Amino acid sequence: MSEMSMKLEQASSGARTGISGRAILGWLLHNVVWIWLVMLVVIFGLFNPFFFTIFNLQNILVQATVLGMLAVAVSLPLLVAEIDLSIPANLGFSSAVGALATVEYGMPWWLGMATGVGVSTLIGFFNGLCITRLRMVSLIQTLSMMIILQGALLALTQGKTITSLSEGYTWIGQAAIDGWPIMPLVFLLTLVAMAILLRRTVLGRSIYAVGGNALAANSAGIRVDRIKIAAYTIAGFLAGVGGYLLASWQMAITSSQGESFLLYAIAAPIIGGVSVFGGRGNVIGVLGGVMLLTVIQVGLAIIAVPSFYVGMIGGFMIFIAVAIDAIRVRYFS
Amino acid sequence: MIEQAAAEIAPAQHDDVLRVEGLSKSYGRFAALKDVSLTVRRGTIHGLLGENGAGKSTLVGLISGQRQPTGGRILLNGMQVQGHDVKQMEKAGVFLVTQEPMIVDHMTAAENLLLGIWPHRRGFIDWNAIKSDATRMLEGTEIDPGALAGKLDAVSRRKLNILRAMFSGGKIIILDEPTTSLNVDARRQLFDFMRRLRGDGVTFIFISHYNDEILEICDAVSVLRDGQLAGNSDRVSEMTSDQLSELVLGRGLSLFQRERTEFADDASGFLFSDVRGRNVNIGEFRISAGEIVGFAGLPGSGAKELARSLFGLHATRHGRMQAAGEAATALPRNPSEAYRKGIAFLSDDRRRDGLIGHLSIGQNMSLSSLFALSRRGFIDRRAEDSIIHRYFSGMGVKAASPDVPIDTLSGGNQQKVCLGRVMATDPRILILDEPTRGIDVGVKQDVHRIIDRLSREGVAVIVVTTDSDEMIRLVDRVCIFAGGRIERELRGDQITKERLREIGGE
Repeated sequence: MSEMSMKLEQASSGARTGISGRAILGWLLHNVVWIWLVMLVVIFGLFNPFFFTIFNLQNILVQATVLGMLAVAVSLPLLVAEIDLSIPANLGFSSAVGALATVEYGMPWWLGMATGVGVSTLIGFFNGLCITRLRMVSLIQTLSMMIILQGALLALTQGKTITSLSEGYTWIGQAAIDGWPIMPLVFLLTLVAMAILLRRTVLGRSIYAVGGNALAANSAGIRVDRIKIAAYTIAGFLAGVGGYLLASWQMAITSSQGESFLLYAIAAPIIGGVSVFGGRGNVIGVLGGVMLLTVIQVGLAIIAVPSFYVGMIGGFMIFIAVAIDAIRVRYFS
Repeated sequence: MIEQAAAEIAPAQHDDVLRVEGLSKSYGRFAALKDVSLTVRRGTIHGLLGENGAGKSTLVGLISGQRQPTGGRILLNGMQVQGHDVKQMEKAGVFLVTQEPMIVDHMTAAENLLLGIWPHRRGFIDWNAIKSDATRMLEGTEIDPGALAGKLDAVSRRKLNILRAMFSGGKIIILDEPTTSLNVDARRQLFDFMRRLRGDGVTFIFISHYNDEILEICDAVSVLRDGQLAGNSDRVSEMTSDQLSELVLGRGLSLFQRERTEFADDASGFLFSDVRGRNVNIGEFRISAGEIVGFAGLPGSGAKELARSLFGLHATRHGRMQAAGEAATALPRNPSEAYRKGIAFLSDDRRRDGLIGHLSIGQNMSLSSLFALSRRGFIDRRAEDSIIHRYFSGMGVKAASPDVPIDTLSGGNQQKVCLGRVMATDPRILILDEPTRGIDVGVKQDVHRIIDRLSREGVAVIVVTTDSDEMIRLVDRVCIFAGGRIERELRGDQITKERLREIGGE
């Protein structure tokens, strides 16, 4: 399906300009995230053949799951031309609430999970209310929410790590069929659901319209505030699910759970083509951004780059992806 | 009187400040401008007229150095320009003043005037010099140098732009549709200002869609059509509007004229009552099904405000609306409610709140009907496609397909898409704010015909317009607003240019 549309795209651009070097270059740059991804896989594999093993693929998929949930969550506020910095903190806090409900108050694991996801959804909804009804600036509002939630997590855990999670709670993070972990399936389902939401539903179309031009969307009869609140609420929900997955996989919740994801969760959708100015971006792009960042992280670990250099080299690789994309926008669109 | 394009070009004279010879610009196989030659005399206002896409913007883009020609040459004061870039052309005194005012809202008029060329001493800005320079330049313009630019009205902002170009050394100033969104009074102010500067020796190239503006202010005119020069005249004063239209369109243009109908002032249509808010104070307003009513009035008079109130875009207190045979209900509080009540509205500013740039033509067209086209929140693809197809072909949108981003269309075609969007909601009342502003005269006739046809299908139409020509050709009744009220109404034969002008305070 995507291959066919790619061919069509090539064919039509070929018809306009003749198949020129420039057209090919434009196509390459347009798909820079995926090409860069393939190149990095090859490079890492040449350094260490272990990178090509099934086991490593399974590892990468698991690693990509939580980042992927967060990246999809972050995309939604971006698409309506807002931002939510509190999503990773929401992930940490909500999972701690859910886990403590099972550990301290003896709730069944599924009720604890539902509580966590409910809390994160409510936080997302509250962010949406602040930004629309109170007209708070989303950058600052969610920044303060992030600090509040990080602090609340620390207070809740008293600086300790929550362990002794029940078996039911950690099942999804540990279960595997024939060695293939099932956790990435949740991410896959989320991607499919989000693709359907964005492409097929009134809400999805409205999200693009609001992000593209909020005033025009309002004049066209779209309830802009409601759409923004919906985007934040769904983002909160996804953060909650991601929080449950992370806790279930690590079998623990630290007092700073989720914090390390912040920059990657925001970088992934933007690398994948979600515009920070709203209205542009799609699920496939987000997936590309997530896979690229995960491959960089895992690859640098596998080829045993000394840990002092990992951050710098990883950052540099992200920089190249973003720079190439900027060149594409500048010269080919 | 009208030289054809191929006519011999007279040898250069010392007062030919700008000459363009055989200028061409191609993008791939597409020729945006083909072999255009023209001469602009010093100290004149030279009109540049043409439909959207006729090549006006390309031509001024080349003259101002923003783009490189693919053929031909440009001569300034008889000297050929070598290489083209904006910096060099500005140094030579050619400045382009675009529609988008390049003004920093939170700086004062004085600071804006000297933006980027602030006088300084040892790296520190010399505020006293700014103040005295600006005060001198703003003399006679009624602009306070200390006023924040964001607080200035549209005409003052345009003047500021022109002055800035002059102060930077502008001898030839190109104005790209400078009257857009100016009312009659402001337009006259701007023209007076231009005449004064012309007296000081400034040369203007004036781009416009409007024949009457060209006839009013220009000394000479060049008309472009399909990237070529369609005609030239050095004596605009001897030309008529019809002659200009013929040059622009290349054929005898049949201007649309509605057959006016007199509607009974009874309870058969819609009644709006007690609409009160900022700048609106309406006790009662009636409109019949099938009637086209024009709203006229200066900004703040209530014409725009009433139109927006009926659609829920302008806050009002306890207004009511009632359709014949139905119970009275409250006025819509937001556009979403208005569409549900069968009221549709098209804004006067497409870019600001009309269209969504990176959605496709089709997606823009179906945007207001999405709920009607959906089941349980999912968009019914087939229903959407059929509506898009109907309005894409029905409105005569000129584009390869409805999947093209709307950004790529000309203004007139964008307006057709917007009109299609509101029509697709099947409104009972359609409110149009300046429906033909900034679109060329050919498309304007199309739009008028579409509105006329719609009214014959029983839609009540309100048209807010400052274009008296449009008023005369399109509406059954004119409501003239002042102080938030409908001060007078004109019907039938009373609707004439003279009456409108007289009442419009001219």
